[in-house]
Amino acid sequence: MTDAPSRLSEKSVFPKWIRGPQDFIGGLALVAVGAFALWASSDLQGMQGFSFGAGTAPRIFAVLLLVLGAVLAITAVLVDGEPMAKFHWRGPLFVSLAILCFAVSIRPLGLIVSAFASFLIAALGTPETRWKETIIVATALTTACSLLFPYALGLPIPLYPSFLIR
Amino acid sequence: MLDLFSNLALGFQVAASPVNLGLCLIGALVGTLVGVLPGIGTIATVAMLLPITFGLPPVGALIMLAGIYYGAQYGGSTTSILVNIPGEAGSVVTALDGFQMAKQGRAGPALAIAAIGSFFAGCAATVLIAVLGAPLTKLALAFGPAEYFSLMVLGLIFAVVLAKGSVLKAIAMIVFGLLLSMVGSDIETGASRMTFGIPELADGLGFATVAMGVFGFAEIIRNLDTGAESDRQLVQQKITGLMPTRKDLRDSAPAIARGTVLGSILGILPGGGAVIASFAAYTLEKKISRDPKRFGRGAIEGVAAPESANNAAAQTSFIPLLTLGIPPNAVMALMVGAMTIHGIVPGPQVMQKQPELVWGMIASMWIGNLMLLIINLPLVGIWVRLLRVPYRLLFPAIVVFCAIGIYSVNNAPMDVVLAGVFGLVGYWLVKHDFEPAPLLLGMVLGPLMEENLRRALLISRGDATVFVTRPLSATLLAIAAGLLILAVLPSLRRKRDEVFVESES
Repeated sequence: MTDAPSRLSEKSVFPKWIRGPQDFIGGLALVAVGAFALWASSDLQGMQGFSFGAGTAPRIFAVLLLVLGAVLAITAVLVDGEPMAKFHWRGPLFVSLAILCFAVSIRPLGLIVSAFASFLIAALGTPETRWKETIIVATALTTACSLLFPYALGLPIPLYPSFLIR
Repeated sequence: MLDLFSNLALGFQVAASPVNLGLCLIGALVGTLVGVLPGIGTIATVAMLLPITFGLPPVGALIMLAGIYYGAQYGGSTTSILVNIPGEAGSVVTALDGFQMAKQGRAGPALAIAAIGSFFAGCAATVLIAVLGAPLTKLALAFGPAEYFSLMVLGLIFAVVLAKGSVLKAIAMIVFGLLLSMVGSDIETGASRMTFGIPELADGLGFATVAMGVFGFAEIIRNLDTGAESDRQLVQQKITGLMPTRKDLRDSAPAIARGTVLGSILGILPGGGAVIASFAAYTLEKKISRDPKRFGRGAIEGVAAPESANNAAAQTSFIPLLTLGIPPNAVMALMVGAMTIHGIVPGPQVMQKQPELVWGMIASMWIGNLMLLIINLPLVGIWVRLLRVPYRLLFPAIVVFCAIGIYSVNNAPMDVVLAGVFGLVGYWLVKHDFEPAPLLLGMVLGPLMEENLRRALLISRGDATVFVTRPLSATLLAIAAGLLILAVLPSLRRKRDEVFVESES
């Protein structure tokens, strides 16, 4: 295992002593999450005698995560592992933007505007989108959702922009 | 024994009411419809459709959800046979031989065998649930907090051992999930923990929210990486003749039986469930086959066994949930979420106090399987047409639908944002080869574990040895420790990895 040819020697931003960048970064991130949770729960009550305080369990889990992350990162230095996977930006960016757009606009603008806009933003997530068909499908989906959720399922979702109703 | 029959009779009485029959049918249909879509797994399907059951009475809602669950599974197999893109992890191995059969123009028999195998497995599993339900409930009532805590530790360890990939990383994901479950108000003291003053976090991170982010959004983002239209080789041949030949039936009957047994056992084990069951069943068939070379080239046993196994496991995984109140996998964790919304706390008490709910659901499983068999074979043509919808149009629709779904849980825009954040987290996890399923399991079991740990230590007056001095608890912990040691031993690890190797080939 240890003398496997190193795939990371070419074009890797990581120094040679990190033999598994994927796990190294993964481990460090878990350490960061654990440390952050420790800080976030530091204001909570700890053990009182033998009864748990509100902060006891979060701190136990945070410390556990911190230790596990550290072990993972250390392993990545000692043993050869996977190189970093390639991250893309287009899909994550536009899907997140679409979700954000929905969250921000559903209350003030209602389902029709919100669903239609989110659909179009999400469609930007791939270069393969053809706008004519996308707009047709977006219209159809918006119509279907406007009938399904508030009427067929009776969920209290606003349909129209609130300034129009008032 | 008499109990068993009267219980089942009560169940069928509830499940056979016209309303519940209708809900079961709608659930199975909608579940299949969404499950057929490539790239949406069972977990995402159940999470996505959770909101449509909110307006129903509890029994109806659970019956519908159960229908959605096995509908989604059946839809997943349809996709993997016809497109070679498994709709969900449980049917990855079905794609190996199923798609080959389809290419040889035998998609019909492959789909039929999948349905027949699933139905047989479903029947067997329903009986098993009914038989094991009562005794396990009695056992559960003898459990104290220490035993419950140890049982959950055992369950989580099982999840680690049965998960794919690194043991260390799986444990880390469980702990991450446990930590996430701590967000929100502390049950005992009411203190708000790690909420950063965000009012929407006071009730904790919604389970459906995280599931939708990690399994729904993350999956979509990941699919976009490879290009929306990457290798979807839909079978172009017309599907003619659904009926399998007599030889097909003869070949697959023993495989169905073996798959059912294996699946039933693996389903009860915590952390197991449908995915591992189908992998194991496929490996078993290949091992004992007289001519293993046929596998991967359209062997009908390679469809029959995993399909029976994953359906059996899907159903028997209800056993720990209904009797012990412990969800053995992520889908069952979502069921807990659904039950909580209806004010039901799953566990032995439900079995005793609301028998019509539990037995109604069990009976509806059998009915649901029958419906799948009857409705899905004629509907295959529609599913095929659905598969022709290009992903570039499909994925924005899924994004919008998921967003509406999450919003409707609490009418909270913040939940939608959080799901988006967890989508990115999930994408990052996948890129670093972390499995998201253990995270979800940890998140569900977190509050239960904390509560039982707290109570156990309070009862023992702070004496932590209580977990090893009580015989039942000590046994459970010993099994957990043994499993963990076995899992990291090199020889067994190799065997375990072998089981998963099929998916990468």
